[in-house]
Amino acid sequence: MESLQLIITSLPSFWRAGLMTLQITAAGVFIGLFIGLVVGLLRVSDSKLSRYPAKGYIFLIRGTPLLLQLFIIYYGLTSIITIPPFPSAVIALGIHNGAYIAEVFRGAIQSIDKGQMEAARSLGMTKSKAMERIILPQAFKRAIPSLGNQFIIALKDSSLASTIAVSELLLRGRQLGSSSFRYMEMLIVVAIWYLLLTSLFTLIMHRLESHFKTS
Amino acid sequence: MILLENITKNFGKLKVLKGVDLRVDEGEVVVIIGPSGSGKSTLLRCINFLETAGKGSRISIDGKIVHRQKNDINMLRKNVGMVFQHFNLFPHMTVLQNVMVGPKQVLHMKKEEAQKLGIELLEKVGLADKHNAYPQMLSGGQKQRVAIARALSMNPQIMLFDEPTSALDPELVGEVIGVMADLAKEGMTMIVVTHEMWFAKEAADRVCVMDDGLIIEEGTPEQIFEDPQTERAKQFLQMLL
Repeated sequence: MESLQLIITSLPSFWRAGLMTLQITAAGVFIGLFIGLVVGLLRVSDSKLSRYPAKGYIFLIRGTPLLLQLFIIYYGLTSIITIPPFPSAVIALGIHNGAYIAEVFRGAIQSIDKGQMEAARSLGMTKSKAMERIILPQAFKRAIPSLGNQFIIALKDSSLASTIAVSELLLRGRQLGSSSFRYMEMLIVVAIWYLLLTSLFTLIMHRLESHFKTS
Repeated sequence: MILLENITKNFGKLKVLKGVDLRVDEGEVVVIIGPSGSGKSTLLRCINFLETAGKGSRISIDGKIVHRQKNDINMLRKNVGMVFQHFNLFPHMTVLQNVMVGPKQVLHMKKEEAQKLGIELLEKVGLADKHNAYPQMLSGGQKQRVAIARALSMNPQIMLFDEPTSALDPELVGEVIGVMADLAKEGMTMIVVTHEMWFAKEAADRVCVMDDGLIIEEGTPEQIFEDPQTERAKQFLQMLL
């Protein structure tokens, strides 16, 4: 009973940490979307010169853990450049999600019937024009469910930033847990915060999905 | 005038076209018939480079050879309209937007102008009242008529029809064939791959029979349907009747 009370009263003291988690995720996802779109388009290109670098990027990033990528950016690069914790976390999350989002876009683009490209080309559109006006608008719509999934993964992955002293939810929970000796309660508060945030994401993605379905 | 010389096409080891020659004059309606797998659709797709014909193939329009370069191909495609078996309408656009997108994006026509043209063309195919609908709300016959309007929006010199009624329910074939017959009457140059013999009889100036990657016989509809010369053409036509 007393634990439950502690959990409830502690919820607001994670406000700033929750906001930090949201910031890392939003910035990381934003970079990831940008990288994902560029790499995804290169990945479906006809030219090997574009396709192979994109394949290489996906191979490297998907084949190694996010935590390792984070450490390489934060610790590994110190001999060349020192990047503070928050930007390091954002960059790592962005690069990591870029690879996954590229694959989401590739799948969505390739799922569009090839008659669409043919019809566009037969009207005299260039390949890039057809991509922009005909294929991508349809592919985006189709990518939304998978993107939503990826955003939720990114939200949870942002907890890895706690290992490089970004004061996000998980780090905050560990700190308050050790200072108050109430580890379990604090970790449960963290869990509740994550559930709130993932629910928020799910809700937004559902709204987007139904919006695009009707339009 | 469009001239095809020695058109070949291989898919891997399979020789689909084995050197087809065809000349279509301005205002002429040519219907291509033949058993499935004879290369009819592939020939049509080679004409606007949706398939790249093999070495030694030559396509020329009004005496100018179309080279295998982006500029030439895009120029050719502006002049050649194509109607597909499965319509290939753009599902994320309204009917009117489908018809406007070519003029706007390729010919850089102003929006108002493209709109006016779009409505005109939809009237022509009898679908002006559907201009705000999305393709998925239309019947197959209506979709194909929109597709015809879309191809006409580029004001092409030549129209290619790739089995335009094969994916339609029988009762919807008539409305599409009707629009095509009107176009033929207006003097549009057309190459039509179809199994609709009555369209061939009514509207075609010339019928070509393809078999095994070659045109084995060509002539007026009367000659082909009443007195075919080759054994293969006779067999094929008997199957249809």
